[in-house]
Amino acid sequence: MAIVEEPLALPSGQPDKAEKPLGALSRPSELTGLKDWLTTVDHKKIGIMYGAAAMFFLVIGGVAALLIRLQLATPDNTLLSGDAYNRVYTMHGTVMVFLVVMPIGAAFANFLMPLQVGARDVAFPRINAFSFWIFFLGGLMLNTSWFIGGGADGGWFNYAPNNGIAFSPSTGIDFWNIGLLIVGIGSLTGSINLITTVLNMRAPGMTLMKMPVFTWMTLVTQFLLLFAIPVLTVAQVLLAADRLFDANFFNVDMGADPLLWQHLFWIFGHPEVYLMILPAFGIVSEVIPTFARKPIFGYPFMVFSGIAIGFMGWGVWAHHMFVSGIGPLSVTAFSVATMFIAVPTGVKILNWMATLWGGRLILNTAMLFSIGLVTQFTIGGLSGVSHALAPSDTQQTDTYYIVAHFHYVLFGGALFGFMAGFYFWWPKAFGYKLSEAWGKWNFWLMVIGFNLTFGPMHILGLQGMPRRMQTYSEAQGFGFWNLVATWGAFILAVGTVLVLVNALVSYLAWKREGKPDVGADPWDGRTIEWSIKSPAPGHNFDVDPVVSSLDDFWHRKYQPDESGKLRRVHTGEELAQPGDPTGVHLPAPSYWPIVLAASMPIIGYGLIFSLWLMIPGILLMTLALWGWALEPADDLDADHGDHHDDDHGPDTDSSGAEAELETVS
Amino acid sequence: MTTLEAPAEHAGDAAADHDDHDHGHHSSLGLSNMKLAMWLFLGSECLLFGALISSYLLSKARFITEVVAGNPTVINSLLADGMPQEIVDEFIAEASVEPFWDIPFTSASSFILLMSSLTMVLAHKAVHEGDYRNSRIWLAATALLGSTFIAGQVYEFTAFYREGLTYDGSLFGSAFYTLTGFHGVHVTGGIIMLLSLLVLSFRGKLRQDRAETVELVGLYWHFVDIVWVLIFTIVYLIP
Amino acid sequence: MTGPTSSRARSTIRAGRRTLTRLAALAALALTAAACADDKPLNTFEPRSPQARRIDDLMSPIWWVMGVIFVLVVFGTMIISWRNRVKESDYDPEDLPEQVHGNTPLELAWTIAPAVLLAIIAIPTVDAIWDLEERNDECGVGEVGPGCDGLDVMVIGQQWWWEYRYDVDGDGFFLDVDGDGEAGDADDREWPLELSLDPDDVVTATELVIPAGQQVDLILTSRDVIHSFWIPRLNGKRDTVPGRWHTWSIQADDAGKYTGWCTEFCGLSHARMRMSAIALEPAQFDAWLANQSELADIPGDDDPDAVAGRELFLNNCQRCHVIDDGEIPAPEDIALVSRAAPDLTHFATRSTFAGGIYSVYAGGPGDATDANDDALPADDYLNLAELASNPDSLDDYRLNAAELKRWIANAPAQKDMAPDPNPETGLGRGMPAFTDLSDEQLDQIVAYLATLD
Repeated sequence: MAIVEEPLALPSGQPDKAEKPLGALSRPSELTGLKDWLTTVDHKKIGIMYGAAAMFFLVIGGVAALLIRLQLATPDNTLLSGDAYNRVYTMHGTVMVFLVVMPIGAAFANFLMPLQVGARDVAFPRINAFSFWIFFLGGLMLNTSWFIGGGADGGWFNYAPNNGIAFSPSTGIDFWNIGLLIVGIGSLTGSINLITTVLNMRAPGMTLMKMPVFTWMTLVTQFLLLFAIPVLTVAQVLLAADRLFDANFFNVDMGADPLLWQHLFWIFGHPEVYLMILPAFGIVSEVIPTFARKPIFGYPFMVFSGIAIGFMGWGVWAHHMFVSGIGPLSVTAFSVATMFIAVPTGVKILNWMATLWGGRLILNTAMLFSIGLVTQFTIGGLSGVSHALAPSDTQQTDTYYIVAHFHYVLFGGALFGFMAGFYFWWPKAFGYKLSEAWGKWNFWLMVIGFNLTFGPMHILGLQGMPRRMQTYSEAQGFGFWNLVATWGAFILAVGTVLVLVNALVSYLAWKREGKPDVGADPWDGRTIEWSIKSPAPGHNFDVDPVVSSLDDFWHRKYQPDESGKLRRVHTGEELAQPGDPTGVHLPAPSYWPIVLAASMPIIGYGLIFSLWLMIPGILLMTLALWGWALEPADDLDADHGDHHDDDHGPDTDSSGAEAELETVS
Repeated sequence: MTTLEAPAEHAGDAAADHDDHDHGHHSSLGLSNMKLAMWLFLGSECLLFGALISSYLLSKARFITEVVAGNPTVINSLLADGMPQEIVDEFIAEASVEPFWDIPFTSASSFILLMSSLTMVLAHKAVHEGDYRNSRIWLAATALLGSTFIAGQVYEFTAFYREGLTYDGSLFGSAFYTLTGFHGVHVTGGIIMLLSLLVLSFRGKLRQDRAETVELVGLYWHFVDIVWVLIFTIVYLIP
Repeated sequence: MTGPTSSRARSTIRAGRRTLTRLAALAALALTAAACADDKPLNTFEPRSPQARRIDDLMSPIWWVMGVIFVLVVFGTMIISWRNRVKESDYDPEDLPEQVHGNTPLELAWTIAPAVLLAIIAIPTVDAIWDLEERNDECGVGEVGPGCDGLDVMVIGQQWWWEYRYDVDGDGFFLDVDGDGEAGDADDREWPLELSLDPDDVVTATELVIPAGQQVDLILTSRDVIHSFWIPRLNGKRDTVPGRWHTWSIQADDAGKYTGWCTEFCGLSHARMRMSAIALEPAQFDAWLANQSELADIPGDDDPDAVAGRELFLNNCQRCHVIDDGEIPAPEDIALVSRAAPDLTHFATRSTFAGGIYSVYAGGPGDATDANDDALPADDYLNLAELASNPDSLDDYRLNAAELKRWIANAPAQKDMAPDPNPETGLGRGMPAFTDLSDEQLDQIVAYLATLD
């Protein structure tokens, strides 16, 4: 619990001479190369690492998905045994939810949100690095179970008592449990960090109702994480106590009620669903106005519907339990509550449609994926309504209809939104645009493959095919649509891989041309991240942006003339900041976040295999905390827990830059 | 110029603003980042303890139901761990785990923990006023009171174990030790923080301008105390 | 069969309504494809009971509402996007569309309208939730006493098969454990289950036999992990949770076989935990239940194979399985987590075994590989063993001896199980292999099992 120790990280405030507390390790100062990536505290690099790590895990989760589809392609297939199938589908769900969709959301939040609020970094840059590393190393630890524990076999929902040692004696579920506990620490510290950044570090003039929609959705998302993660943590602690220390929380023989797990899991799990989709909602709310060349329709409704989803998301968890035997009164209450959560979601869909209405749409890849989200998510939302009706849910739950539903929400919704975000902000992150030609292939293969894979699952589910089935027999009549879905899955896989291919191809083309400057504002953007160079310079903003309206950057480019007609008075490039870091001190890199993060999986292995192994882990953790606490002894910028390197020359007067800002605005 | 700085920007002559609480940084809410973060963390902790307390209540209720119903697995497990038959009979008779508590003892240790909140406030006040000598006294007193509480908890756990309430022997045992143990770990974490502050203070690094650090530890400490009031009421007092 | 006809009729009505657009037809395509599938034994669109029809009737209009919204939003978005497109090469920074920031009345309207629509939908939904909780008599499921006229059946899930118990002697499903003179009250429901289950009740496995046209109430629990009991054409599903007692009801309009599948993930062989409900005419049901209430036959000297098979059963299978012929003792301390294995007393009266994945009789009525409704005429169900022993009546209809032998010799090779003792609990899950039994011995066991009608 690093955050508990965080107050200790506060330096004394004494301008002591820099002491090297652990002399062997001098402070890292590289700005390029591997060591830079390992020690960086730059939110943009951390965001990129979140994205890259998520892509790595996406490959693992994707291979698992293809194995599932191959196994189910034909009746009575024997490619995977029951045991192997259970492990593969469990790891597919777990990896995709915790190590792909959530981290991509975190990637955008980290990279983008500080740029959108006009900050130089997040509130606690080192904790930010720690959040990433603990997610990545925890995720790696979880995946080492493929080799030494056989993978978890209880489903991503991992219901008790099937998750108990009596039913799953291998260490797979321990890896699931401890690995996700560790990943959860990163989510928690990350959420505290990002909320603090949004709430406290906005550019002057940026009131809450002038924040970009993506930043709003990030804020809601991080609040959901902040409150949802501890509930999952408790469930996992209870499970770990049962599995590792013979406690009885889910031991039915001792009088336990297995539904305790379901309640705890879904009190976490339902907000979880929204915290996966809301970042994507934020992304398309930025992309659509930009390429429709209109402001977002009904900004306050977009914001408040997001907040409403955030609140209502806490009151509907038991709709995952309509057939669990929670009694008709609870079923009634949660059924009605669940139906009404469709309202704010519907508002968002209609507002996006209204934004498209009458726009001048540029249908590039980012826009196509955004439109893809609006349409595919609508399908997922509608099927959601059909099982909000509890009686109907008793026929549909735990069938492939549900699998179709949540893939339309999480793949057709969240992942399509993320793809739109990749194409949109790629130049801001890397300095070059992704190829539109490859992008179109990317989009159309994905949308076709996606609908071929998951569309038939609606039919399969309504025809009665249960989920989590290793196989089915000929007589049950599921063969045809399963085969279609398998073909679709391979088209979808090819389509998804194309985004990586595109990144490479576009980079090589850009390099061949001598890396031309893509410009600060390649899309005629609306928000202030487009007012700085591409790729975004390490210090983000030369001078503090001062914000006076929603879509501030756009309003500086377009202003009404005498007749009231909007005219372009500046191009984005005219307004863009030159990217001059003079006089800006940045938080310095640090070894300690990765060292502290690395200690946790060691402790985790210790819990699973031998408590002795915990000793080096705890020693390493103590060392890391100690080093962390003492490191910024010469740092005066105390309340960020960050650090500044002293390589810069004496501070030059920044008023020049401010004056420049005034002349251009 | 300090007021114009971006939050993570650091002007070279920052020594000038180093007496300022917010270090001259623009803060949208007028609250330091650390303090905001601590409040958020405590908000998250509320859910953690909320879930733990709920799990405890459910587990205890199920335990009592099974004991009263005479479930042989549950009762034999208690007896096998050395719980006297009289206590089991009392559980059944009163349909409650009340016979197990030593309310006067736990009340006393609760009182000690509550008093530590007072000394914590005094410590913060002393640092804030630059009264370093007293700040060390009150920090030490807070840590000592917290340690006394932990010692009491260790004693209580030992006594309960001897009476046959083991961690793995019953649903109630698992739930009780997990909930109170989690709280104990939180108190222990607080004690480590207090001792670290004390070390800083002796090394002359806990000056007036660092009063916020003490305040943050104080926030955490008060939170842990309040949680104990809840746990004490729910676990020990409400039948 | 009335069911498919009405389903087809509904499809016709649907077809008649397709007047709006061709797009609406597309929207309904998926549903129609699902609804018109006659060879789908688990189809949720073929209700054959008042309960399943209640659910279907609730949803029927809502599919249409969803379809209309689907068409409006999805195709609306696509049309808007296509009509407003501008080529990137024609991009003119001065050519701005009207800058609409929002329209509060409009947005309020499309906030309130869906809310009202959902409120309207909520009314029949709530009504249906409570309707489905209606039980067949005034007293609780599983209780005995005056007014408890409806048939109650206990359903117990375990890895990876279903057990059903019928309270034929009218003293409830439970022993009077607490000795208060009232059997089966809440305090008697002890855990683990075998402490309090009444051993005199009729116990069957895999196939839930019910009388047609009557509502049958189920009291559900599990011996190990959570399972879910689901016969799609008779009702929705309900989880069976260890340590908890849930209630649910099913009913079949007509005699026939209704396929089901465990729908809560329950471990290794979740995919092979299947079951069915067999509805018989009430008189036939009474005859069936009367036969089930009798002790198992003890093979006579005229059938030496069966006598030897019974001996082998005693030495191998009796560790877990029950055959109640008045002499074979009930197993004790079964080394399984669930502490139970299927009761085989009337094994030969069933059409499937091994959790519903294999047919007891091959090539004729009840062959599990042919799961259609009418594959199993109820008349035949009462005489399965007899039919099989009379090869003239049906070609190739015979005991599935080959599959039975394979199963007994090495069950874990046929179905994923973990019969070896768990290192923590010392208990296994599922049936172990009996590889040391010779082919002849297997034949003898099968010969014995065939006599258990």
